[in-house]
Amino acid sequence: MFHKILVAYDGSDGAKRALRAGIDLAKRYGAELHSIAVVEKLPHFAATVGEVKEAVRELTTRYEWISQEAVRVAKDQGIELHPKVQPGHEVEAVVNYAREGKFDLLVIGFAGHSHAFGRVMGGTAQNLARLTPCPVLIAK
Amino acid sequence: MENAWIAMVMGLLILLATMASVELGISVAIIEIALGVIAGNFVGLHTTPWIDFLAGFASILLTFLAGAEVDPDLLQEKWKESLLIGGFSFLAPFLGAWVFAWFVLGWTSAAAQIAGVALSTTSLAVVYAVLVETGLTETEIGKIIMASTFVTDFGTALALALLFVRPNWWLVPFILVSVGIILAMRWLHPWFFERYGNRVIEPEIKGAFGALLVLMYFGEKAESHAVLPAFILGLAVAHILAKHRLQQHRFRVVAFALLTPFFFIKSGMNISLRAVLANFGAMALLLIVKMVTKSMGVYPAARRYVPADAAYTTLLMSTGLTFGTISSLYGLNAGILNQGQFSVLVTAVILSAIVPTLIAQRFFDPRHRLAAAESQESRAPAMSAAREEN
Repeated sequence: MFHKILVAYDGSDGAKRALRAGIDLAKRYGAELHSIAVVEKLPHFAATVGEVKEAVRELTTRYEWISQEAVRVAKDQGIELHPKVQPGHEVEAVVNYAREGKFDLLVIGFAGHSHAFGRVMGGTAQNLARLTPCPVLIAK
Repeated sequence: MENAWIAMVMGLLILLATMASVELGISVAIIEIALGVIAGNFVGLHTTPWIDFLAGFASILLTFLAGAEVDPDLLQEKWKESLLIGGFSFLAPFLGAWVFAWFVLGWTSAAAQIAGVALSTTSLAVVYAVLVETGLTETEIGKIIMASTFVTDFGTALALALLFVRPNWWLVPFILVSVGIILAMRWLHPWFFERYGNRVIEPEIKGAFGALLVLMYFGEKAESHAVLPAFILGLAVAHILAKHRLQQHRFRVVAFALLTPFFFIKSGMNISLRAVLANFGAMALLLIVKMVTKSMGVYPAARRYVPADAAYTTLLMSTGLTFGTISSLYGLNAGILNQGQFSVLVTAVILSAIVPTLIAQRFFDPRHRLAAAESQESRAPAMSAAREEN
């Protein structure tokens, strides 16, 4: 049923649950497993290009390290994980990557905010579920 | 107020600004300016000669760093588009704001010229952050906007250096020394890096700082401004810094940790909230003049090269921050602007970093058009909604 699975992975507890679910499904269906980490929170209205470049570099390095951790976890389970790190808006970047990569399933973690907080912050999981062109599994 | 107390307060403000910047995802410069406004208007913190000097040096350093961010290959690749868009992006607001401040606001001609220079700028940093976040840095439109911004920045540096020079005999050594330093740094860097580089005592950074201080000294003696040679020096060594990433990183660390905070906090301290509120209309009009004249200058040229994204290009070219603040502070320090004029002008400059960016991202984001073109089911409005909700 699933041939190509994408896990949104930022190293958080929710993302770790999503990774476990993704690995389990990849094993079950013999699917390719990919992950994406979105480098966001770049400084808005920066005064120097250096500030932005350094922020991109620092965050990319951090997310690459986090993604390598995920690769190790998957490898321990006998699954090869293909990680991707890219800057952008978290919902938009994941949606576009899922669309361009023609993934069959997106697995994301639930952040566990309160209902009120989720409403204020917009609910990343909710937006991903709404906009991603493939089925979305939310791991709680 | 004693120096130790002022230094302590400045140190704490710098730390607070850094933490707030990380938490809020807003540039540390904006926060530093905001904290400077609070410190100057409500805490009674005032500037001192040592803060003035550090801020002055930081402004030259920021100009050097802006020059060093220029991508010569990109400029060469897009020279025609960038000259046209970047040239008009400088010229139209410069003339428009100058005339407006002179005839409508009744500023002196020199003060109006400062307004023209400060509002003619385009912030490469603001533009770059937006392009990175939207993934457009490597696209045609991203390249054209960045290359054009280099040209606008150069126009601003040129205007600031030429308009306010009061020629004396020091101008000759200033020009000779500037040319000598630029050539020496281009030619001698391989030998210097080989013999002295890669040490914890940082000879490379000290070399660049030494060169900038020499430029500042001769610029002051010539009653000119070191901003133009500093920008050209940055441009001349851009490829060297690009090759030596570690040195570039350390250079930025020293600049952002020790020097630029003094420039931005001092700028904020000199903003009189009372003057901004009393002249709110003038401030809003200056911002509008900047955006309208940028549109008049950039939009027709942008229509020629990036017709589908001409409005987006125009809005991003309307942003400004660092060069505008440098120009305004120069006007205040040189006695060309009074504190009220400085407050109004620099507030308009800061708002120009925010307002055009938000409008461009909200209404003219090229990704929405591309997504609509690529997909049968247009998801662009939904994505906008998601961005808003998030």
